Amino acid sequence: MQTIAAFVLPLIIVMIPLYGLIRKVQVYEVFVDGAKEGFQIGVRIIPYLVAILFAIGMFRESGAMDFFMAALGPVLGLVGFPVEVLPMAIFRPLTGSGSVGILADMVAAYGEDSLFVKMAATMFGSTETTFYVLAVYFGAVGIRRVKYAVQTGLIADLAGIIASVVIVYLLFG
Amino acid sequence: MLNYIWAGLIIISLIFAIGHDVRDIAQNTYRNGEIHDISIYFPDNGDPDRRQNVQFRIAGHDGRFDAAWRPVDDSYEMVISVDDDMPDHWLSIAEFQETSTSTEILAEVVSFDRIEATGGVLLPKVRYVKLRAITTAAFDMAEFAVTLAIGLIGVMALWLGLMKVAEKSGLVYIIVRFVQPFLRFLFPNVPKNHPAHGIISLNMAANMLGLGNAATPLGIKAMEELQKLNPNRDKASNAQCMLLTVNTASVQLLPPATLVALIGTGVNELVIAMALATLISLIVGITAAKIYEQYHPEDPHSDNIPDEQKIEV
Repeated sequence: MQTIAAFVLPLIIVMIPLYGLIRKVQVYEVFVDGAKEGFQIGVRIIPYLVAILFAIGMFRESGAMDFFMAALGPVLGLVGFPVEVLPMAIFRPLTGSGSVGILADMVAAYGEDSLFVKMAATMFGSTETTFYVLAVYFGAVGIRRVKYAVQTGLIADLAGIIASVVIVYLLFG
Repeated sequence: MLNYIWAGLIIISLIFAIGHDVRDIAQNTYRNGEIHDISIYFPDNGDPDRRQNVQFRIAGHDGRFDAAWRPVDDSYEMVISVDDDMPDHWLSIAEFQETSTSTEILAEVVSFDRIEATGGVLLPKVRYVKLRAITTAAFDMAEFAVTLAIGLIGVMALWLGLMKVAEKSGLVYIIVRFVQPFLRFLFPNVPKNHPAHGIISLNMAANMLGLGNAATPLGIKAMEELQKLNPNRDKASNAQCMLLTVNTASVQLLPPATLVALIGTGVNELVIAMALATLISLIVGITAAKIYEQYHPEDPHSDNIPDEQKIEV
């Protein structure tokens, strides 16, 4: 698998212009024409990213997380969801760098081989930073009314989070 | 929904920050206004009315610490170098004081006995720690957002250029033919043989292989293709919502590099767990999106194909 991944990118990057040459496309000119858009898109997503990231940054610093852990811990304990992985479950959809930090803290606190770290790592690897994806993807095309995309993204995240806990329990617990 | 979540994050932050700071003030966490007794050691009986480096001992605490002694007007002040052996609340004052540095504390000498070389110092007041923290976070993240977006420009340009070549040469349409049977189910409103199918499939493939710096530009490109078909300029179409859902569920068959860096080779035994979890989240996400689609009926996009793509279709 890793071998495939290592070959895929260089192969794609070489294959596309090569095929273009065979089909007699002015590859350089067309490439530059397409690449022009990169800058506009980068600039276009800025307001969306600023809006999402500053709100999440404030939330992260406000200490609200400690409160939610204390409040939700007993409830989650009833269904067998370990409260130790709750920060990861909440922050994974919000911030990529934040959840990396949480995972690093957990490795330091519980050790690499602990069940909690395995759960958190599985969550990290199996879900995406939903709000970042939302800001970037929709921002790039200027969409502000996102309809039900937040809900479906979060439902998918929730399923991934619950699945991570259950699967790690079954495989290692 | 996004409006409420967004505003909710900001309002909750403010409420919790204020709550935290009020509790700090009520419990006097930082012991503001308390006078700490210290004894000062001047080098070789130096004159206290001169600027000099001194050492001092905090009453009831072992160890000598360094400070710069400064006469000001009628009294004195000390610039204390923070030392890890200091009492805990001195350290937290250093960390949370309003001045940006956490290695020095500026203390006011409120009483000083020349003969005994003892005195009382007043440490800076620490207040509104969390309020300051969320404000700093807001500004820092706003700045970071721009860095992030600017950083995307290069890879964006690379992939957009390549995709343009792939489109002009007809390569995308070859891919479309292969993946269409699968993608027609997810994106029923995208017209047959439309290049969006090809780019969406490349985006999914990049996600599966954990190629983050290819997946995002390809996803954006796919989003653009869908936007060309979208009759509403600022409202997402069902197809765009589906693409976003598939991307947030992020089908990954390879662990992301950050994870390998954090927990090392232990990540290998988690590959199956991650693949299963991601598959479940994908299935649930797609199902949810399909259910939502029922409540947001939409016409097929065949009328909105832009002219330059009509010939190929």
